[in-house]
Amino acid sequence: MDPLTWTGSIGTVLNPIFLAVVVLFVFTLITQFLLSFTAPPPSITVNPDGSAMSTGGTLGMMGRVNSYLFLGILAMIGVYMFSGLVTPYGTGGIFGEIGARLLPVWIALIVTFVLSITFKRKLGLYGKLFDSMIGMIGFAIVMFWVFVAVFVAFDLVVTHNPLDQISGMKNKVPGTPMSSAGDEGAYPHYLLGGDNLARDVFSRVMQGSQIVLIIAPAATLFAFMVGITLGLPAGYYGGKFDTVLSFIANLVLAFPVILLFFLLVTPEIRAAGIDFGFYYWRVPTILASILFIFPLVFLVLLWNSRFFTQPSKNILYIGLTVLIGGYLYLALAWDADPFGMISIDQNVLIVFVAVVFVNSPTVFRIVRGLVLDIKTRDYVAAGQTRGEGAWYIMLWEILPNARGPLIVDFCLRIGYTTILIGTLGFFGLGLESESPDWGTTINAGRRLLGIYPHPAIAPALALMTLVLGLNLLADGLREESLKD
Amino acid sequence: MADETYDGPILEIDKLSISFFTRLREIPAVMDFSCTVRPGEAMGLVGESGCGKSTVALGVMQDLGVNGRIVGGSIKFKGQDLGAMTPDELRNIRGSEIAMIYQEPMASLNPAMRIGKQLMEVPMIHFGTSEKEAYNRALEVVTDVKLPDPKRILNSFPHQLSGGQQQRIVIAMALMSKPSLLILDEPTTALDVTVEAAVVELVKDLGKKYGTSMLFISHNLGLVLETCDRICVMYSGETVETGKISDVFDEMQHPYTQALFRSIPLPGADKNARPLIAIPGNFPLPHERPQGCNFGPRCDYFEAGLCDQTQIDMYPVESGDRHETRCLKFKEIDWNAPIDVGKQTEKPAPGDVVLKIDNLKKYYEVAASALFGGANKKVVKANETLSFEARESETLAIVGESGCGKSTFAKVLMGLETATDGQILLNNSEIQDTPIEDRDTKTISNVQMVFQNPFDTLNPSMTVGRQIIRALEIFGIGETEQDRENRMLELLDLVKLPREFAGRMPRQLSGGQKQRVGIARAFAGDAKIVVADEPVSALDVSVQAAVTDLLMEIQRENKTTLLFISHDLSIVRYLSDRVMVMYLGHVVELGTTDQVFQPPYHPYTEALLSAVPIADTSIEKQHIVLEGDIPSAMNPPPGCPFQTRCRWKDQVPGGLCDKEVPPVRILDGNHQVKCHLSDDILARMEPVIKIAAE
Ligand SMILES: Nc1ncnc2c1ncn2[C@@H]1O[C@H](COP(=O)(O)OP(=O)(O)OP(=O)(O)O)[C@@H](O)[C@H]1O
Ligand code: SF4
Ligand code: SF4
Ligand SMILES: [Mg+2]
Repeated sequence: MDPLTWTGSIGTVLNPIFLAVVVLFVFTLITQFLLSFTAPPPSITVNPDGSAMSTGGTLGMMGRVNSYLFLGILAMIGVYMFSGLVTPYGTGGIFGEIGARLLPVWIALIVTFVLSITFKRKLGLYGKLFDSMIGMIGFAIVMFWVFVAVFVAFDLVVTHNPLDQISGMKNKVPGTPMSSAGDEGAYPHYLLGGDNLARDVFSRVMQGSQIVLIIAPAATLFAFMVGITLGLPAGYYGGKFDTVLSFIANLVLAFPVILLFFLLVTPEIRAAGIDFGFYYWRVPTILASILFIFPLVFLVLLWNSRFFTQPSKNILYIGLTVLIGGYLYLALAWDADPFGMISIDQNVLIVFVAVVFVNSPTVFRIVRGLVLDIKTRDYVAAGQTRGEGAWYIMLWEILPNARGPLIVDFCLRIGYTTILIGTLGFFGLGLESESPDWGTTINAGRRLLGIYPHPAIAPALALMTLVLGLNLLADGLREESLKD
Repeated sequence: MADETYDGPILEIDKLSISFFTRLREIPAVMDFSCTVRPGEAMGLVGESGCGKSTVALGVMQDLGVNGRIVGGSIKFKGQDLGAMTPDELRNIRGSEIAMIYQEPMASLNPAMRIGKQLMEVPMIHFGTSEKEAYNRALEVVTDVKLPDPKRILNSFPHQLSGGQQQRIVIAMALMSKPSLLILDEPTTALDVTVEAAVVELVKDLGKKYGTSMLFISHNLGLVLETCDRICVMYSGETVETGKISDVFDEMQHPYTQALFRSIPLPGADKNARPLIAIPGNFPLPHERPQGCNFGPRCDYFEAGLCDQTQIDMYPVESGDRHETRCLKFKEIDWNAPIDVGKQTEKPAPGDVVLKIDNLKKYYEVAASALFGGANKKVVKANETLSFEARESETLAIVGESGCGKSTFAKVLMGLETATDGQILLNNSEIQDTPIEDRDTKTISNVQMVFQNPFDTLNPSMTVGRQIIRALEIFGIGETEQDRENRMLELLDLVKLPREFAGRMPRQLSGGQKQRVGIARAFAGDAKIVVADEPVSALDVSVQAAVTDLLMEIQRENKTTLLFISHDLSIVRYLSDRVMVMYLGHVVELGTTDQVFQPPYHPYTEALLSAVPIADTSIEKQHIVLEGDIPSAMNPPPGCPFQTRCRWKDQVPGGLCDKEVPPVRILDGNHQVKCHLSDDILARMEPVIKIAAE
């Protein structure tokens, strides 16, 4: 097998054209910018049918040329990526073959978009997202990674086992063919090269998305549960309770995050704990048992406040919550699953707890602020005057109406958490060094960065695009939720 | 710059059409709007919310935002087409020749800049006036807008002034450049009635003094009558009638104008001879306007085949002075036909006392500083010795301006607060010290509330049906979910809403419809006492009547006691049996509606009556303008609470008003007045509102 080049044989034709278009694009962009100082602004005329149209002299024309060029660039990138689907193996180069490996992801993305755009008027805020270009791009990037994570679980996208070390592939550059032509049917190349333990970088990055996309959203969700469960009463009741909680929140926020992490994950602290004689209560378990109780409390309050008037329903919902939630709680926080089925890796647990711990104070403050605003509304007063309990008002009258800003913050916070976990991994804290998650991988690749940059660059790009996508998504959501 | 010798019309708007372009569609906000404002003339623009009044004003300012466009017609200012001007010329004219005053004063003031500096900026920027001159001019206008101690005011920041004072400053700012045209968009809606009256008086005087032309936008016909020479009535983006005030008010030639006048209560008229008639149906959204006449679907004179065909033009009415109407049938309609009064329902006589308030007091303790509370606590006396009774199926109106303690009383009654002292007896059991958590379901469901703001009264993320069912659940009504579902549908019938509305979200309902849902929710547990806190003040006039009627009808059927909180004396007179007037936590007057609306008055009631704008040209009103603002409840004046603004004060010997809180005096027929004035002075009081001899 020959090594793969980046763009393969179609590159020989396409590369010069691509380069020319990019140069032209940059050139028009600069001229347009310079022209905008001198040329008259585009004027707006109204057509007889009532629609408005922007017509502009040179500037308008430049703008149009510009967008055509940009579309051209996008189209050519598309050709690079998708050529691998139709041409024989190897013609499309590394890009083409990666595109081909991602086929299920592309299909899933297209289906999602076609369905969503068709029914966008019926889909509430989610549907409105498809009116905003920014939001759509963000959503596409995020969903790309989500689908990658999903399909990796079905063994679809990855080319090799991310933990397999294949001799002779150590630190090989992207596109290197497999050294031992041994196994029949094995994928013939390391698409993005091999790392210093001779593992396939491409497969590791793809596999890593799974860990990132499970831990980050889950940790954020827990942080939200904690923040909401405490922020609601703080804002609603105010007074001493609020003062104390706000003070604690500020205290946690004022503490340098990285230092906090170091503290939480250092072996000494992790080993420390309270000895009850019959049970040794270690710090991670202490924290987890405190933080993980919140979702349970949250759900029980949620059901009870609403259904206490209908005892049968109430018992059903609360019973289910306590059973399932309690089971998970025992298994995850105390590592005491009575059936021994679920347990969480202590390393993951500590990262999880740490992330929840540093995120919840901010969520607390956001929720508290929103409650302060919403509690003055008449429908809250209406709830009070018909004798509703405080938790009903907080959870069913106030919280649903604070959802807009909270959803936006949720997206941003997943991005932030992703970086945080990545940073942790980079410092060698948290997840074990085998783990293919992006932070750890970047860290592992760091030592040889000068000589072999590719094992670190690939996960770094992945992390960057995911966070960018989340930020764009949050922007789009914010923009759309503000409109009407 | 327009030349000085120009003496044609100041503003000529010709067939103006304005549209907003949104993602979904074009919204034609204003269509074929024409009007002319001559020098020194004040033009009133009235119409319901969303009919395009503000859009016209913004069109004149050429400030329609990114998605607004003038799609037809022209706006000429002093003969020059505003649409053809360059941005520079426009900016010049906007600041100096045309000034605009908005509803919310703080929107026009910079919170971080001293008042004086903001005022002086105007001439310094537009005319390059020297600082000294600008200061003198600022001092002059601040004196003109009748603000006390102008020098101190110039040196203060906007937040240090009350709402009424801020609005005066905005007016002063507009006058700094001696504009030829002043556009006022609902300048007093955010203010209290007595303050509003003073500001309106001021605007009128200044208009005369400076010879400024005015475009006065309001939804209140009474205000327009008091301030303007001519009027334009708008409906759904179009002018439907325009002319001299007297022509339009007395010889209206458009069915909408007529319907509008019939739906507002006039204090001069008798409620039995002239009941409120609501305009049926709802205001069409701009993109759902009917074919032909926009008012067609709601018009009593609608003629199929004629009114629903083509666009209708404005037709001149011969008898009037530039009087025009947009109606095809105005010549055929008998405008003097008597009102079809409809069936008269006799109100049941008030029954037993259900609610007795005795010497109720509510004081709040406010810490002067939040951080180191405790040292010097201030006491705000929100309710001071309230005593009254309310009977079954009686309507008791509680009248007063903001901060007078109406809402505090409602809170104590509902149990959201507990009383400091005194008693509340509900069906002979004391509830003043029982907070709502400790009240039993029966007590809670017996006393319910209807809220003021229709946009706030329903939870935006829950369906209408769900919200009513929730109230039923809480009140323990209905055995099964099906029961409650049925009861909810009946409640929707009760408030005359279609049953499909159960599945709708609040944002899909109009303001009036939301208010109806609020009423249904309040009556979910067969409430015996309903506190209605300004239930219609935020609604458009044409739906106000319908909601008011609905409330009264339900009251008749359920024998409910209605505590109707309002500052609008016209509506109070229309629907209440007894009236209680409050000022700074005190009940200053209490009596039957007739007793309160006729002399002798408490001086505050007198001023309040005079402040209510009345849309009836045959009414003569005494003008009583109260000086100053309502004092803050944090530090009320010593003696009589009203003494800072009372015009009768000097009639009381010995400066008693400054020293002693007046006792409650019982006049004829259990009419209570809290004032030191002697009987003979009270007897000499003149009625404030008189119907002019025909
Ligand atoms: N920026 C905008 N974009 C889209 N539609 C708008 C915009 N501004 C106003 N409209 C629409 O134009 C119509 C006229 O609005 P306008 O504000 O002029 O009414 P108005 O008579 O001043 O009402 P109000 O009494 O409530 O102030 C309304 O249907 C409104 O929804
Ligand atoms: S044109 Fe017809 S529908 Fe329109 S206002 Fe006149 S009578 Fe009524
Ligand atoms: S007591 Fe004196 S100040 Fe008070 S209302 Fe009567 S006359 Fe006016
Ligand atoms: Mg307006």
